[in-house]
Amino acid sequence: MILSRVADGLYWMGRYLERAENTARLLLVTEELSTEVLGLDEALAREEWKDLRAVFPGFADDEAPARTLTGLAAASLFGLSIDPENRYSVFYSLKKARDNARSVREALTLEVFINLNETYRELETQNRRQLADPAAFRSALQSTQRGIMSTVGAIEHTLTRDAGWLFLKLGEALERVFRTVVILRVKLPALVAAEPKIDLPLFYSRWRSLLRGLSCLENYRRVFAARLEPIDVLQFVLFDPQTPRSVRYGASLVKEHLDRISSGSDMSQPARIVGKLAAELSYQGHELIREGQILPFLDHVLAELGRTHDALSTVYFGT
Amino acid sequence: MKWVAPRSGFDEVFDGSGEARAHYAALISILESFTKEDVERRERLQQLTLRNQGITFTVYGEKDGLERIFPFDFVPRIIPAPEWKSLQDGLVQRITTLNLFLADVYHEQKCLKDRVIPAEVVLSRKEYKRPLLGLMPARKIFTHVVGTDIIRNDRGEYLVLEDNCRVPSGVSYVLENRNLLSRVFPEFLGAYPVRPIKDYPTLLLETLRFVAPRRGQNPVVVILSPGIHNSAYFEHSFLAREMGVPLVEGRDLLVEGNHLFMRRTHGKRQVDVIYRRIDDDFLDPLAFRRDSLLGVPGLLNVYREGNVALANAPGAGVADDKSVYAYMPQLIKYYLGEDALLPQVPTYLGFKKDDFKYIAEHLDQLVVKTTGDAGGYGMLMGPFAAAKERETYLATMKKNPGNYIAQPLVELSTHPTHIGGRFEPRRVDLRPFILYGDRIRVLPGGLTRVALREGSYVVNSSQGGGSKDTWVLAPREG
Repeated sequence: MILSRVADGLYWMGRYLERAENTARLLLVTEELSTEVLGLDEALAREEWKDLRAVFPGFADDEAPARTLTGLAAASLFGLSIDPENRYSVFYSLKKARDNARSVREALTLEVFINLNETYRELETQNRRQLADPAAFRSALQSTQRGIMSTVGAIEHTLTRDAGWLFLKLGEALERVFRTVVILRVKLPALVAAEPKIDLPLFYSRWRSLLRGLSCLENYRRVFAARLEPIDVLQFVLFDPQTPRSVRYGASLVKEHLDRISSGSDMSQPARIVGKLAAELSYQGHELIREGQILPFLDHVLAELGRTHDALSTVYFGT
Repeated sequence: MKWVAPRSGFDEVFDGSGEARAHYAALISILESFTKEDVERRERLQQLTLRNQGITFTVYGEKDGLERIFPFDFVPRIIPAPEWKSLQDGLVQRITTLNLFLADVYHEQKCLKDRVIPAEVVLSRKEYKRPLLGLMPARKIFTHVVGTDIIRNDRGEYLVLEDNCRVPSGVSYVLENRNLLSRVFPEFLGAYPVRPIKDYPTLLLETLRFVAPRRGQNPVVVILSPGIHNSAYFEHSFLAREMGVPLVEGRDLLVEGNHLFMRRTHGKRQVDVIYRRIDDDFLDPLAFRRDSLLGVPGLLNVYREGNVALANAPGAGVADDKSVYAYMPQLIKYYLGEDALLPQVPTYLGFKKDDFKYIAEHLDQLVVKTTGDAGGYGMLMGPFAAAKERETYLATMKKNPGNYIAQPLVELSTHPTHIGGRFEPRRVDLRPFILYGDRIRVLPGGLTRVALREGSYVVNSSQGGGSKDTWVLAPREG
């Protein structure tokens, strides 16, 4: 039993921490793929950056459209890494995570706060000019990613498993599955429409990049081996019951946390919404993919996750 | 290691002839065994620790309420046992008097009828809360936590500069400074019998529980903070963690059926004691400032009914008013029949005609303060102000003379402070913390604030001050 405001703070701390890591990872993956395909297919490299901007919107409307690929890449890199004005930049998310952590610091441990604070302070010292160098950019973002991982590790190793912990993990889980679905929603139309016959290695690079963006390329290989069949990849990222970033796993995790939060009492409204969604995901499979029903289904999942967030905010935070 | 000798006034470490005082000898020999590089390396470690642990305060008026590290100087201030003993006795005498005074002015007002202090000095203050007349807080305690500012004059005498009876802050830095120093310069502490201070949060919690209305049960204590943008937020959060109690904001609390509750994810829970770190005026929009978003509507009624205790009690601020301060020696005599153990700074009161005339004529020698403000805001340092500045200030003073007091500039004591690779004398003060619960406890230590700018007299953190670890030595055995 904790204060509603503290639960709210921990939930958002979990969401922002997860979002910061997602953004950092996708920036790294996008930059790598863009570099790989640049000489072969500039339009594709451009597509990748545009997709990333669709996954994490929040770029100022008046921003001059970057005409050149280099311009687009540089603007996206800056915007999504350290731009303090961009609501989806790694820096912004880390700052929000830290602000929330500061406002509920009595509910955390020193280890958690110090790791988060150090990671934030380190990124704070980066500036646009330094990050213009791709090698420096990679090393800075990788270091931030490591810092986030050690914060998550400190949460795992030092926090009491009370209601506060559950709200933190709930925020993390909901943000993760939500972002996975958004990524798929943005990327799938072009991926599915692409003609594999034309340029096979490029075709596979994009699917591989999708898996890496969801940090589950190795996990996929362990199930399906190195062969990247689109239908297998889809099956995996949507319905795999074990990989942490599949949609099915994510929805089940959200449900699990909500069940534990509402322990004892009747199932809460948010647990009911996400419970139905998790059940759908457990019983769906290949047929959706074959029938070409994936995109409407993803829209449905996004809507239900949104409803879950709204319901839990009302029930637990009184907002 | 280079020591820069003090030019004037009393130095904590070196006497008039430049010799180190006996209780600093061991520290100096340890410091002199370090090379310049050692010290610099340790100082970098110290900065990093402060930054990473987020030991900060917030500066108002800057963008987003900028978080700043509270500068720390590693040369500790050492107070020998006999000196501390007399300080402690004087502080106990003062907090006892402050409480008797508060109980009196909110009840019989005997001290006003007996003309120990002019009635208008007390009753006209905005800190005097008329709606609380006749209300006695639990256990008759008004000021559970007091921080008294102490300075030393050029003879080394300890003088009281002011009492802080509302929401004195700084104790978190007292504790963090000790942690930091023992981590960065572990060699120091081993050489001295330094009295520990770590149990302050435990003692604070005991003090707060002592006034809980529901006795015999495990009372629910909370800290009420204005929130993350308050300059002392770090301390609020620190004390909540150290005491293991919830840190709440006004919006977390609600009044129902004349009881106070906090909103939780699964229902509400009754609150017994609030250690409030927000000013009286913001506590309850129904009772005081209507525009307060920080407070809890109806809180004062719950307090009135005795269903919640507030520490410090609302209305206690009148006791640390700078005009009331001038009458403390008389009040101590009146209530306790004793002479004041700690001297204080002579004070001229703006509302007295003769005093005001004196202030106006000697503005270039006086420090003028507004009675209500704290934190070094709104003051005039006469000796350092330009003539034009003094004129403007005087014109403002004339509009409301009762709002001002003036004191001669006291030459604060100096203490060697590590600045730019050398040990330079810088002015310091001392804020000990006193708890009033089942008995009165003085924390053996305190916040030594240091004016880091050369020649400066202003030690407030909002004005470029830093702090030092403060050691009170245990009495020698036998």
